[in-house]
Amino acid sequence: MMFVRTLCFLAGALLAFASHANELRVLAHSSFSLPKPLIAQFEAQSGVKLSVIKAGDAGEMLNKLILTRAQPIADVVYGIDNSLIAKALAANVLDPYAGPAMQRPALVPLAPGVVAVDYGYVALNYDRAWFAKSGLALPKNLQELALPAYRNLVVVQNPATSSPGFAFLLSTIAGLGEEAAFDWWARMRTNGVKVTKGWTEAYYTEFTRNGGARPIVVSYASSPAAEVFYSKEKITESPTANLFLPGSVFRQVEGVALVKGGQQREAAGRFIEFLRSAPVQEGLQTTMWMFAAEPGTTRPEVMRHAAEPSAFYNPPADSIASKGPDWVNRWTSVVLK
Amino acid sequence: MLRRFSVGNAPGHFGPARAWWWGVLPLGFLLLMVVAPLARLAVEALPDLQWAGISAMWQDDYLRWRVWWTVLQATLTCVAALALGLPLAWVLARFEFPGRVLALRLLMLPFVVPTLVAAIGVLALWGPRGMLSAWWGLDLQGTPWLLLYGNLFFNLCLVVRAGVEALEQVSAARVAAARSLGATPWRAFWRVQWPAILPWLVSATCLVFLYCFSGFGLALILGGQRYATVEVEIYTLVAHELRLAPAGALALGMALLTGAVAVLYAFVERRLATPGRADGVARRRPTGAWQWCAVVAGLASLFLLCGAPLLAIVVRAATAGEQVWAVLLDDETLPAVWNTLRFSALAVLLATLLGVAHAFAARRSVWLRAAAFLPFVVSPVTVAFGLLLLYPRWSASLPLLIGAYALLAYPFVANALGAALDHQPAHLAQVARTLGATPRRVFWRVTVPLVLPALRRGMAFAAATALGEFAVTLFLSRPEWATLTTLIYQRLGRPGGANRDAALVLAALLMLLALLAFVLIEQAPRRARVLAPVRGATNVPA
Repeated sequence: MMFVRTLCFLAGALLAFASHANELRVLAHSSFSLPKPLIAQFEAQSGVKLSVIKAGDAGEMLNKLILTRAQPIADVVYGIDNSLIAKALAANVLDPYAGPAMQRPALVPLAPGVVAVDYGYVALNYDRAWFAKSGLALPKNLQELALPAYRNLVVVQNPATSSPGFAFLLSTIAGLGEEAAFDWWARMRTNGVKVTKGWTEAYYTEFTRNGGARPIVVSYASSPAAEVFYSKEKITESPTANLFLPGSVFRQVEGVALVKGGQQREAAGRFIEFLRSAPVQEGLQTTMWMFAAEPGTTRPEVMRHAAEPSAFYNPPADSIASKGPDWVNRWTSVVLK
Repeated sequence: MLRRFSVGNAPGHFGPARAWWWGVLPLGFLLLMVVAPLARLAVEALPDLQWAGISAMWQDDYLRWRVWWTVLQATLTCVAALALGLPLAWVLARFEFPGRVLALRLLMLPFVVPTLVAAIGVLALWGPRGMLSAWWGLDLQGTPWLLLYGNLFFNLCLVVRAGVEALEQVSAARVAAARSLGATPWRAFWRVQWPAILPWLVSATCLVFLYCFSGFGLALILGGQRYATVEVEIYTLVAHELRLAPAGALALGMALLTGAVAVLYAFVERRLATPGRADGVARRRPTGAWQWCAVVAGLASLFLLCGAPLLAIVVRAATAGEQVWAVLLDDETLPAVWNTLRFSALAVLLATLLGVAHAFAARRSVWLRAAAFLPFVVSPVTVAFGLLLLYPRWSASLPLLIGAYALLAYPFVANALGAALDHQPAHLAQVARTLGATPRRVFWRVTVPLVLPALRRGMAFAAATALGEFAVTLFLSRPEWATLTTLIYQRLGRPGGANRDAALVLAALLMLLALLAFVLIEQAPRRARVLAPVRGATNVPA
């Protein structure tokens, strides 16, 4: 029982945790990431300790917020995007913010009282080496992708469990029209589209770049830049590239908002301003791989590999909220059942 | 019949009269961590409850296929795991050869590896551009074989470890008696050894079934959405659609189904429980070509099923290059290692406490035995949402985090210990009592040493669960609580070759830490040897 005794000792030693009375609770999705020095700087300047709570995927995070609205688990929430904003407003879990960051124009507006922080595009990525080797021409539109030549080449995420998957479904509906979109999905099913639960499974087990068998994957327009940034050798060209087809690009805008019933209002306001400050706007581009919402923010050199598409296909926010669940159900019956 | 007279079978003064006392702790824990959150969620779901909608759900062909497929794949895995695991356990329990103990410990590693990393390892071998599939010209992508392989990779260790322990408890004298009375080795196996190891195998098979049934892991990634399990449906309904009523109905249906398996298991185990003997069959060095062949074939199949994907990860981590290895000294990695170690240590401590209490409480009660499966039976996402609703203030607190780890880990301790308590040889305790030992002394000097190996095995599994547990991130978590597993998933949440390789390096580190933990937990204490004048007690697994 020596080991148990050691454990008992460890338990005593380890359970000492300081609690912070002056703390700002920030609810965020699991991709939230900022340069550490900036966070330390914020804590020093505002005199509050940041307590970041990660609640999973953005959709999951919002659901947790809705579920606990009687006793909110946070004071401020980051990561509600334009595909979720209508649901969040309808559920009445946010309080409007009216500080300077709200007054200043953003490159991409989100909703009144919700401050846009960053934006990006969900889009198809392809493996350049695979297409160069196979000699197959790139498809020029979504219809071509459903032809036998592109059989078994595409992997997408399940819109019921993944936010990029949901965004991609939305773009097909906005781009092709609802009926045509589901018709296209039905043809994609016969053409062997692979569905994964989330982005990571798609990118790291199905994509040809990472040992899978599918050279086209639903990802972000910034992913090719991240591939360069996180490549092992110094490379000047990304191994992947964007495939911007009509009806395959969704513009995602993420924002920060006050939680209804939250405390620490002043610190929460400071945090919102902080997210729109120049250093954060510049830094988040290579930590979260999104574009800055503040006009005039310097774009890091590596983002040159992340081309912005000339067009994107978003359904109106209120129809996302009202029809979204039905679209997902219909997608499930068309593609999976 | 023997049981009725065996005072020693019950651990002295911890006998049946006081057994319920032991149950207070684990049952209270289950009440707070599982039952109350689920009840709270049910209250939340009540206004939306429509019987029409729920009965329509059960008539949905797609959902029926899901349930049917879930049952089928779990059953297939159980059959395959038994067919492969039993011979393997035989080899590991009956033969003494170099590397035997190491093989037993390495066997635990699949349990630790995050599912996504395991999937990468499996695909490196069997994927479309995998080493082995290219060699043999196979394409397993999109077939159920890859999925079954994945299930075996994770679950074989459960069956083999239980099998080894069971075979070590088989009485050598009884086997010898059967043989000298003219039974063939086969007959001796079926009539003497098989009945003795059956309860252990039933227990392990039930665990495998429940794991595959409610599984959320590798099989899903390898199988894709077509082979997804019901748990995924529940996850979708709760986490993404917030439709608590249908999710609750589905979760309840699943819980009833798996609960039936758990009760059945508890009943079978209680029926089969017979006190064992302390004269284990001695291991011997393999002699002759056949026996060596058996050892080599056993180890080779073990390697192919469980070792190769892990080796693929280690090889890729080792060849990743200096630039990627730098991640080991990253300012994120060291705190994550520390978190992994302290959370796991605390979780194992709590799990041991709960597991021991539960095992003692459940000695006489089928229902209490079945209750130990509760953490496996309920859907983790559903519980997570219930906890959030019930304890919003505690949602991002350390006690809840550790509690969640322990909840998933403690059934291993309870089950392993429960089986061992059933099989304690009765006569040793009786002899000790006759010689004047107090019940307390009998408990500490006879019962505890006899069940210690099982307790260690349970703790090792609990540690493996805690070290590799990712389900906990379903709760709210804080960045400063990042463990190695969360770091790995964080890396795999961003594109780029360096991220992927860093994830593999971190996974290799996690495996190394886990191996160290197993060695620490399962290390044979010297005292056990002093205490072993009875032949066979030295055969207690190291």
